[in-house]
Amino acid sequence: MAVIHVPRPPKQAMNPQRPVSALLKTQIEHLQQAELRLPVKYQTSIYVNAIRTEREASEYISAVTEAIHRAHAEAATKRRKMPPKRKRVLEIAAAAERKRPRKRKSISKKKRVAKKKGHSKQKSRGKK
Amino acid sequence: MPTGLDRLQHIVVLMMENRSFDHMLGSLAAVNPQIDGITSQLSNPDTTGAQIKPQPLADFQGQLDPDPDHHFPAVDLQIFGGNTSANRAPNMQGFVKSYFNQQRDVKHSQKIMYYFPKEKLPVLTTLALEFAVFNRWFSSIPGPTICNRAFAHYGTSFGRVDLNPIYLNEPFKSIYTRLTTATPKRTAKVYYYDTTSSTMEVANLLQNQPELFGTYEQFLSDCENGELPDYSFIEPNYSDHETDGGEEIANDQHPDHHVQAGELFIATVYNGIKQNPALWASTALLITYDEHGGIYDHVPPPSCTPDQFTASANSTGTGSEFKFDRLGVRVPSILISPWIPKGTVVNRVFDHASIPATVTKFFLGDYSPRSPRETSADIFVEPKSGAVDPERNLLSLTTMRTDCPDFDV
Repeated sequence: MAVIHVPRPPKQAMNPQRPVSALLKTQIEHLQQAELRLPVKYQTSIYVNAIRTEREASEYISAVTEAIHRAHAEAATKRRKMPPKRKRVLEIAAAAERKRPRKRKSISKKKRVAKKKGHSKQKSRGKK
Repeated sequence: MPTGLDRLQHIVVLMMENRSFDHMLGSLAAVNPQIDGITSQLSNPDTTGAQIKPQPLADFQGQLDPDPDHHFPAVDLQIFGGNTSANRAPNMQGFVKSYFNQQRDVKHSQKIMYYFPKEKLPVLTTLALEFAVFNRWFSSIPGPTICNRAFAHYGTSFGRVDLNPIYLNEPFKSIYTRLTTATPKRTAKVYYYDTTSSTMEVANLLQNQPELFGTYEQFLSDCENGELPDYSFIEPNYSDHETDGGEEIANDQHPDHHVQAGELFIATVYNGIKQNPALWASTALLITYDEHGGIYDHVPPPSCTPDQFTASANSTGTGSEFKFDRLGVRVPSILISPWIPKGTVVNRVFDHASIPATVTKFFLGDYSPRSPRETSADIFVEPKSGAVDPERNLLSLTTMRTDCPDFDV
């Protein structure tokens, strides 16, 4: 089978200054709605109403598309770092058990003895 | 089980922009009379009443400016010739009148009837003559891009006939979601050209499932490495833009983008698959166009099963509601596989709902819920399960062809 040559378009066929078509305007509108759902840190500072040419359209489209991918990628990374819920509950319980032993309040020996005796008196009262 | 069908593992769809069947493939009627293209009897009246015949004078660029109107009211005029009565029949007599409305220039309006001679479109016409060309593939609705592309992704446009975005939480899942959530899981990807061109499927998929998307560069790499998913949908480049790698010319063929750029793109998609012999033997590639772009075609779109949605009279802009019970204008569609006999011409009726219908049936079998339009759409690849009707199976050769064309890009 013969190989069929495919001509390339001429260089002047390319025109990024071409006015945006209705289709590109629609794509921009859709992407703007998607952009407004992104957290602020991912949003662009491009004013879509000022977009007139295919070059300007492509800059906006690229920025929002990449922002959407970035937002999802960062959320996925954060999700991978967070342990699952059951594991977190066990960790909290284990941490509670490992709680440092209660420190004795520093009271004087005299008071410690008095306290002990008081405790003994109560016991003996009960026995009578 | 026919060998070609038995070996089929991948379905790839490339959807281009805004060109009608007669405009791109009409010249082939002179080469193969089975192809329903341009004949000397065809014409459209202009606003002076003169009958304007189609002529092989289409230019690659600069001719269809302004962009021919392809919104619902304009397409209504194109199909019905201005007849607004209740029981009207489509006559395809309103194209020149419709284009006249945009510039009020009689001479300019006649250019809507121009078509490409075969020699100017070596890629598309070669593929149409070498593989299976569909005489009756219509856009899904007589309206613009977004709704028609929605039929290719969801099997419906959820009652929309305009360019408004498709909203979330609609009752029918995209073909991608169906495949990736199936048991066993299947694989699917939307390959857009690059992030600067992005996708026309923004409202749902890109926002919520960005992992479904890849670039065209990735498509070529996946072809080379044998990692193509079960189902791939390719989008062309929708704008002229600059990247770090240089200039990228729009190759979607939407007027007024250069048509040769689109030819080159189609050829590289074809080459990408063909250059991997294992992939070539196991892939069916469908090349189609989302809608006719307001450009002349002579075949009246048929009525069809109504969808469960209705577009209001306000949203159609015609004063009448639309029940999605008539297809849009005919578009060029070609199915490519080394298992398809040369010169196949298909006369069954298809529209873009046939895409999710085919992919679902092939990879998942019976599936619901799906739209009425999708469940009633014909399929272009027979499923492997059950008996295969030889009259319907397009991948019918018992031995794989070795004479398929090569394109020098």
